[in-house]
Amino acid sequence: MLSIVEAGSTAPSVREVDWSILMERAQSGDPGAYRRLLQEIAPYVRSLAAKWCREPDEVEEVLQDTLLTIHAIRQTYDPARPFGPWLAAITKRRMADRLRRSGLRRQRETPLTREHETFPGTQANNPADAPERRALGLAINQLPIGQRQAIELLKLREMSLKEAAATTGMSIAALKVATHRALKALRKLLAGDEVR
Amino acid sequence: MIPTPDLIDLLAEGLTPVRRLRKPMTRAAQWLLLASIVTVMLVIAHGVRPDFWQCLLDRSFAVGTAASVATGICATLAAFQLNLPDRSRGWVLLPLPALAVWLSMIGYQCLTNWVAFNPDGMRWGEAARCFSTLVMVSLPLATTILVMLRHSAPLRPVLATLTAGLSVSAITATALSLIHNPDASIMVLAWNLGTMVAIIAASGTIGRRLLRLAFASD
Repeated sequence: MLSIVEAGSTAPSVREVDWSILMERAQSGDPGAYRRLLQEIAPYVRSLAAKWCREPDEVEEVLQDTLLTIHAIRQTYDPARPFGPWLAAITKRRMADRLRRSGLRRQRETPLTREHETFPGTQANNPADAPERRALGLAINQLPIGQRQAIELLKLREMSLKEAAATTGMSIAALKVATHRALKALRKLLAGDEVR
Repeated sequence: MIPTPDLIDLLAEGLTPVRRLRKPMTRAAQWLLLASIVTVMLVIAHGVRPDFWQCLLDRSFAVGTAASVATGICATLAAFQLNLPDRSRGWVLLPLPALAVWLSMIGYQCLTNWVAFNPDGMRWGEAARCFSTLVMVSLPLATTILVMLRHSAPLRPVLATLTAGLSVSAITATALSLIHNPDASIMVLAWNLGTMVAIIAASGTIGRRLLRLAFASD
């Protein structure tokens, strides 16, 4: 029989209860006793798991694995023996399995970083590029409207000359000229010169 | 992942009464009784080896047979203890002294004569006949002990299965030593422990699926 009395603040706060008797009743098919037993042991198992697992999700997974194992092998419990070592052995085994699985997963997988999430869009989030991107945006905003449209459509959205001409209503020749002038102006702006 | 309170409700609602497992000593004794019955039937079917009574006077035969019997008994007891979650892993050491004595007396005759060449042509040798007898003896014993140990699947499958394999090997080797002359111990050990290792390897790949099925049927 296991009787756990409330101990210090770090110990699992479990009121004095006879889990062994509850388990014996559960083996006879008493669902009320079984529900109470599982509810009572959950904080204890959680506190055991929390010593090894850092993530709250992992702790909960160990707890659920342990509850499922207890359910599957509940006939192996002998009420003449203490319940605590039986429960602790199952919990430790499930915890070891979980840690081994997460270790294997860590070996196989690489966590995504901000660099991995950077895409070739206008909202790309690579912090190293951010100042240059801002300066370029400011420089483009200073261009005359025709040149700005040409740069945005042909260079940033990578449209063809025909598509850009259809979108803006400008001729292909005018777009070419506008792009050429815009690039020249941007070079000057980014080098610190003013557009004249 | 479902919330834990919901899981507890599910488990409690699906609860069915279970028959408590008997004590490991009792279960080991039951299996050893079955193994004795198989051995006696084998001896009745094949007849005891012609030189059995002389062999009993031979010190190495007597010690080797006693050691294989002791290995079988200790390994069976260890397997049923390791089957339970709250028993010490130290039980795995129980059969080791007897196993050491048995291995020191072991012979390899049965590995050397698979095919016999007679004037009538090629025939199966003593080794092939010995192998078929060993499969007939060890298969029901191994199946029975694995069925009895199936509750250990989620906890200590490797230790429980290996000690079970050792107990089947020891009992089978003892039974074979009673009915024919060449010592088949190496072949018996290789066959039974090889089978158990194959079962362990297979359980690694299909075990999760089996467990899921077991939970689904609960």
